Amino acid sequence: MKTPVYFMPGGHRLGVWVALALLVCLTASGRAATNDFFARGIELIRAGQFPEAAAAFEKAAGAGPSAGVLVNLGLAEWQRGHGGAAILAWERARWIDPADARAAANLEFARQVAQVDAPQLKWFETVSTWLPPNAWVWLAGTTLWLALGLLVLPGIFHWRKAGWHQLLAAMAFGAFLFSLTANFGVVSRTQIGLILKSNAPLRLTPTHGGEIISTLAAGEPVRQLRTRGKYAFVRTAGASGWIGEDEFQLVCPR
Amino acid sequence: MGILQYIRNGVIHFLLLTPLLVKSQTSPRIPPGSQLQLQVAQPMVDVSTPVTATAAFDPPAVPAGGKAFYRVNVDATESSIDWPDKLPVPAELQFGLKKSGQLTLMQANQYRPLASFVYEVTAPVAGHYTITNFSVNVSGVLVEVPAASLDVGAKISGLQVPPRLELEVSATNVFLGQPFHARVILPVGPGNEIEALREIELRGEGLMVDKTAMRQAIETINLNGELKPALICEMTVTPIAAGPLEFTAQGFTAGREFTAPISISGQVNFQGGPPKYVLLVSDPVELNVRPLPAEGELPGFTGSIGKFFQDPPHLATNRLQVGEPVQFSLSFHGEGELTRLVPPAAPASRDWQIIVDPPPAMSFTLIPLADEARQTPAIPFCYFDPVTEKYVDLTIPPQPVTVVGQGLPVEQPEVDEAGKAGARRKLSSLAPAPGKAVRSLKPLQLQSWFVGVQLAPVAGILALWQWDRRRRYLAAHPEILRRAQARRALRREKQQLQKALTAGDASAFAQHAARAMSIAVAPHFPADARAMVCADVLSQLDASAQNELGTETVRQVFAAADARFAIHRRPWPGLLALSPGVKSVLQELEEKL
Repeated sequence: MKTPVYFMPGGHRLGVWVALALLVCLTASGRAATNDFFARGIELIRAGQFPEAAAAFEKAAGAGPSAGVLVNLGLAEWQRGHGGAAILAWERARWIDPADARAAANLEFARQVAQVDAPQLKWFETVSTWLPPNAWVWLAGTTLWLALGLLVLPGIFHWRKAGWHQLLAAMAFGAFLFSLTANFGVVSRTQIGLILKSNAPLRLTPTHGGEIISTLAAGEPVRQLRTRGKYAFVRTAGASGWIGEDEFQLVCPR
Repeated sequence: MGILQYIRNGVIHFLLLTPLLVKSQTSPRIPPGSQLQLQVAQPMVDVSTPVTATAAFDPPAVPAGGKAFYRVNVDATESSIDWPDKLPVPAELQFGLKKSGQLTLMQANQYRPLASFVYEVTAPVAGHYTITNFSVNVSGVLVEVPAASLDVGAKISGLQVPPRLELEVSATNVFLGQPFHARVILPVGPGNEIEALREIELRGEGLMVDKTAMRQAIETINLNGELKPALICEMTVTPIAAGPLEFTAQGFTAGREFTAPISISGQVNFQGGPPKYVLLVSDPVELNVRPLPAEGELPGFTGSIGKFFQDPPHLATNRLQVGEPVQFSLSFHGEGELTRLVPPAAPASRDWQIIVDPPPAMSFTLIPLADEARQTPAIPFCYFDPVTEKYVDLTIPPQPVTVVGQGLPVEQPEVDEAGKAGARRKLSSLAPAPGKAVRSLKPLQLQSWFVGVQLAPVAGILALWQWDRRRRYLAAHPEILRRAQARRALRREKQQLQKALTAGDASAFAQHAARAMSIAVAPHFPADARAMVCADVLSQLDASAQNELGTETVRQVFAAADARFAIHRRPWPGLLALSPGVKSVLQELEEKL
């Protein structure tokens, strides 16, 4: 009886190609799903079916969040009367792409109509808005290892130490230190959330019957400092207190 | 100057005296009696007349074994009378339980309370019995109750039977909370005379009587097999305690004082003259109250017991705006006591604010909170059917609705600091393309795998450093590299040697054996392996080996290998037989590497 051959010479190469093809197919299918939902959402919003359009854009964002999807999601939410959700969507669009002009203009307009302020950012948080969050972290990694490489590798490879090595290393290290502050700003900005519904109660204690300190408007920014059960302790521009987790959402969900 | 100063001083003095000239403001005075139109004239309550008491047997004479009532009336409130536990009762008379009641009379344009105490008395033995006078404490004052006598004879005829109430109930075996009807019946008296009843009460533990739905009528009914007119007062009773219950009915006769609408059928006479307020009682009725079964209870049970049917619910409109209230009406009909039907409670809903409308309306006010709502929430409801002894589901099904959100403005005029309107600001147009997507909104800084990626450059630099260190070491000690290279070359040569031996190729065997020996000894000199000769190999062998098999083997191998340079080649028979010797020599040389 002939023993079956399960592994043939060169099979590992075939496996690699199959895995790569699978990865490409998955990525392509995810992108196709995003595009389908995106196109459907645009049709619905043009037909005036805003809740359905918002649902379609939500699905598109679920398949792969992008600035364009979130801008349109915000437009659908705004037109159906969900000001808080619209501002949240546009903030998320700016989180992904700080240079998105549509999101910036819509945020300014919405905050003017809803009479709510933009989040108060510290200087390093403002710096972090210059580039997308992931760009800062790659910049930090690249500059750090570039600086270290320029310091270490000439010794290893017996290269003659040139002046430009030192200069480039110093510049890379400086860029690394600068990007560190921006990275800290990115992490700090993950605390920022937005109120979704009008008259959200800010309570003194994390309980359903807790005394209401004040009520918050839809789209008002808060900073989540800690959580307890289904409540989060947040700080607003004028007060601090506990708010139900379903009353607000972080711009960058953890 | 003098005139000016005089005027100035005068003005100052006038201003200082002004407060004394102004009269203080007082509250307006209302003349007495100007608000009489808001009042209603009320009779006085008689508190000055001394409290009196009367006592009598009703009737005053009964045959032996007959029943009579011992009645004591005190014109005071029942709560103010400290009624004694034991009365000076003759031992021959059997007294039943005390019954008492109270009503308020209107006498000589004055209110006066009347409390009545009644005992049912049985006299088994003939005789003349007297309850002597005794005193009761009425609000701290002793009031004397006069003596009363009862004649009990063997044959007494022509006496009236004392009136009493009849109590009928629609069910005697009920569930806790199940409403039933109770009828208090006062049959006509002698001369077909009928009287009204006041202060009708059902006395007993664990019952709740709904007098608001009491119905009074005068009808001809079959009472103990005899058709006779009677005053019927029907009311709804709900048991609120489980177990065996006993209760009685009582009420005061009130002549023609009907206090509620009454329907009359049949011929009856109404008593003339002023009413006689006599407290009548009924025999007790026993009731068995069972608790509701715990198993099988459905959501939305509000305590409704009976048999009910639900009509289709009515929604005022099914197209709504967020925040716009709409009325949701429910309608039930059934065989049970509909007045005791408790409407379902408002369920909790994320998308709806639900307000229960005040009774008697059986409806809800629904307010959609979000435009995601596509239907009204289902309202769980059920009732208990006492016949089948099961809970029956009557959940109000959801109704389809269309909720439209209140859109926000999409454009607004821009106002500058001077308050002038400029260009209109508005929302952007739709993004035509999704743009570059990211895997997640969570930044890389907060993802654990990214820390692992940062370790890769560290590992690379460490590997480079280790490689450089090894390179430097080998540069300082080249013999290590030569020996390692020799070992690798020797391994390859031995494989060729084995192939030649297997193939039986003596010439190749000699070539590879000689080359292997040369490779094995070359690092010791150090020199290139191709420069090694037989003597070099022999110099590396042990003395004992030189003398014996090894020396000869090496010489023969090198001689056979060098023979390839001869003009006339000659065969070397038995060369392959040197294989064990070659193996031994190579093993010895390899150990020295």
